[in-house]
Amino acid sequence: MTFWLTVLAAAIVTYITRSLPLAVTLPGHAPPALRRYLDALPIAIIAALAGAGIAVPDAQPTGGAEIGAALAALAVAAWRRNLLFAVIGGVLAAAGLRAAGL
Amino acid sequence: MTPGRAAIVEGWPLFLTSVFIGIPYGVVARQAGLSIAETSAMSLIVFAGAAQFAMVELLRSGADAFVIVLTVLLINARHLLMATALRPFVATASLPRRLGLAYILTDEAFALGIGWFRRGHRDLSYYTVFGAVLWCCWNAGTLLGATLGAGIQDPQRFGVDFAITASFVAIVVIGIRHRADAIVALVAVLVAAALRLAGASAAAVVIAGALAPLVALALRDRSA
Repeated sequence: MTFWLTVLAAAIVTYITRSLPLAVTLPGHAPPALRRYLDALPIAIIAALAGAGIAVPDAQPTGGAEIGAALAALAVAAWRRNLLFAVIGGVLAAAGLRAAGL
Repeated sequence: MTPGRAAIVEGWPLFLTSVFIGIPYGVVARQAGLSIAETSAMSLIVFAGAAQFAMVELLRSGADAFVIVLTVLLINARHLLMATALRPFVATASLPRRLGLAYILTDEAFALGIGWFRRGHRDLSYYTVFGAVLWCCWNAGTLLGATLGAGIQDPQRFGVDFAITASFVAIVVIGIRHRADAIVALVAVLVAAALRLAGASAAAVVIAGALAPLVALALRDRSA
């Protein structure tokens, strides 16, 4: 039940961010500093989640495999600019590094 | 060529990309313990890639509902700017039509839609067709990934549990447009990792992420 209420609330707040400026005329203009902040926000939050996942996967501080796998995902993402390939590269690297005992 | 056809011709690389991002989303959501219905429901009604990946991770780690919804709001707040920029081009449409256009507003639809309007077109069907097809592709990719994701046994051994973290890394790397983005991302990664190692909660990680862009403002102010 909590799951569905959470998803519904997430859908509503998302829709509000998309519809508010189209539904009503908002007064004035966003100050440039606010624009820059909102612009950088998504990447910062996703990066924070990445950092937390690399440092402590599954409630255990990493043995090094996750750091190596994250670097592999980073390299593939920078090279191919493709999320699916980067995820596959990261997963394969994690499996390989763990098999190697890290 | 009709505007709708132009949207398909110009948009197809993004449609493919949407399917190929929907697949890993479906896989990681299933690995996090969500059902196919729950995984798909998020794509149907939230329809926001990066925010959905974040939701899956927070649901998996048992974050409370408030933290999850706040995270989604912070990640998606950028839509306010995009919708504001689109507003002049859709001002003549009826309110119900504008509310419909809002539902399919994504980074991709904004980028292509603004490009279309700036070429002097005023027809809304280009944006509408692109947004609707993208929604279908995202949901098709989700369903495909959710179906595949259930069949993976012993995820830890095959490294599949790492897929969500790898997704975050890839979203960040692909999303970096300039040096300030890279610095903000690096600060967020290091601060969140340190907080997490010190035993901090998911909420603290999100707050660290929300504070990191202030670094970009400080950099800009100094160079200005």
